Amino acid sequence: MQQSTQTRQGQVLRRGAEADIYLSDWYGKPAVSKVRTPRAYRHKLLDDQIRRYRTIHEAQIMSQAKLAGVRSPFVYFVDPVAAEIIMEFVPGRSVKDAITLQVCKMMGTYAGRLHAAGIIHGDLTTSNFIVYGRRLVLLDFGLAYYSERTEDMAVDIRLIKEVFSSAHVQIFKKAFDSFVSGYAAEMGKRKAEKVLENVAEIERRGRYARFQV
Amino acid sequence: MIRVNGKQKQNGTRDKDNKGAALLCLGIESTAHTFGCSVVEMYQDSERKGKVLSDIRGIYKPPEGSGIHPREASRHHAEVCSSVLAQSLKEAGRRMDDIDIIGYSAGPGLGPCLRVGAVVARTVSGFYEKPLVPVNHALGHIELGTMLTGASDPLVLLVSGGHTMILAFAQHRWRVFGETLDITIGQLLDQFGRAMGFASPCGGRIENLAGQSDGRYTQLPYVVKGNDVSFSGLLTAAIRAASSGEKLVDVCYSLQETSFAMLAETVERALSFTSKKEMMIVGGVAANKRLASMLDIACTRQDAKLYVCPIGFAGDNGAQIAWTALLDYAATKKQIDVEKSSVHQSWRLDVVDVGWR
Repeated sequence: MQQSTQTRQGQVLRRGAEADIYLSDWYGKPAVSKVRTPRAYRHKLLDDQIRRYRTIHEAQIMSQAKLAGVRSPFVYFVDPVAAEIIMEFVPGRSVKDAITLQVCKMMGTYAGRLHAAGIIHGDLTTSNFIVYGRRLVLLDFGLAYYSERTEDMAVDIRLIKEVFSSAHVQIFKKAFDSFVSGYAAEMGKRKAEKVLENVAEIERRGRYARFQV
Repeated sequence: MIRVNGKQKQNGTRDKDNKGAALLCLGIESTAHTFGCSVVEMYQDSERKGKVLSDIRGIYKPPEGSGIHPREASRHHAEVCSSVLAQSLKEAGRRMDDIDIIGYSAGPGLGPCLRVGAVVARTVSGFYEKPLVPVNHALGHIELGTMLTGASDPLVLLVSGGHTMILAFAQHRWRVFGETLDITIGQLLDQFGRAMGFASPCGGRIENLAGQSDGRYTQLPYVVKGNDVSFSGLLTAAIRAASSGEKLVDVCYSLQETSFAMLAETVERALSFTSKKEMMIVGGVAANKRLASMLDIACTRQDAKLYVCPIGFAGDNGAQIAWTALLDYAATKKQIDVEKSSVHQSWRLDVVDVGWR
């Protein structure tokens, strides 16, 4: 608790949609503090529940992801009441601003490793991947959960596809193909195809999706 | 065919002769419950400002507790179309001869309703020899919204009976950053309201009832998947809560709080991701004050300015069609032959090429 009040006086790195990220240190190591501050637009009951649940889940699944071979920040400290996690500071650039096809393939590899381990990330966007030297780090496990359902994996993949097709539209097709090649290599061709078929099905379920130009 | 093409050239010359003069469009909206005709004027200077001269609507009202019956709605539209059209010209103080182009909603929407509007548009276009311009209804909401609010490059939340989408413009098209994975926010409110025996559309009544609650929150499923939302489970749970004895005002309150918070969160995510400094809310549900106030909080946190489509033009109307047809025609001079002027019940906004942005 003491620590958390201290860290919050640190420099704001990012005021994200879900949490504020502060630059901090953890016994001499550079660290970030991720605080899910209350959302005034949400009813307090709902808000408290969401913030606490996501904080606990994020910390747990971040560690599980490492066991699956997905590099994610190390967790140093968790305070569910204040909805705060203190974790390793990862320098580097967001993939959103440093996208390459090679990185897309690696993102697919990570998604495949998570899914093979029964983890759904829930927020696979290019802003949640950090390129750090030659390594890739995945962040933001706040919407992550455990599931072995093909449908849940497909929702995960559909989101990154949506991001490629909106935020990275110039390289959309190549980026998604690279992603899929990395994904299929981890998941196995058959399983990956099943997930992609399910992605297509979700798209067909979408509003007004039958009309193609 | 030849005659239509000949006329097009003639129109082209006239435009040149009257450089700087206003271009007039008759817009015909006919996607769902509303049959609307509107005359909109666009000034042909660099700023391309517009003015709505008239906006007349005939609205099909289904019986309480039931939704739009497509055939009944189209019958209604067929009955009111000529008087709505005549009134829109009269109110604008213009005659058919003054009109330069005809815009019509070509989709997405209910087939029988779309066809009534299309028939009216083709008839008028053919008889008076005016260029015919098909318009995507959803695009109409956005374009009229930006014209009326003055937003220039906003992140858009389109919320209506047919849409729940978060969009931003990039590379000639509106790109989807988030959307519903199943039913829309309008369907959520309407289907809940209908189950309670309300008359459609039910959003206003639900907002009213929610305002009478003393803020007792009933737990309902909150489903955010990345930038996307899902409302179907929430609908089932809300109907169940209401029929298991929870006070109706509290269920309405909780339904609004939960569903709107889901939208506010995904909007905040999209604002943070795109770094847009403007946010605009359009569509029928944009009329809800609680939704706007929640989005205002989300926008303030993300340093974005919130624009809300004026309540009178939030719902379906002919002006959204007329204005979009004007933008399209002024930029591309594209028109469609009467023979090819079909309608599309399914026509996603993100496949429409936008030539004027």
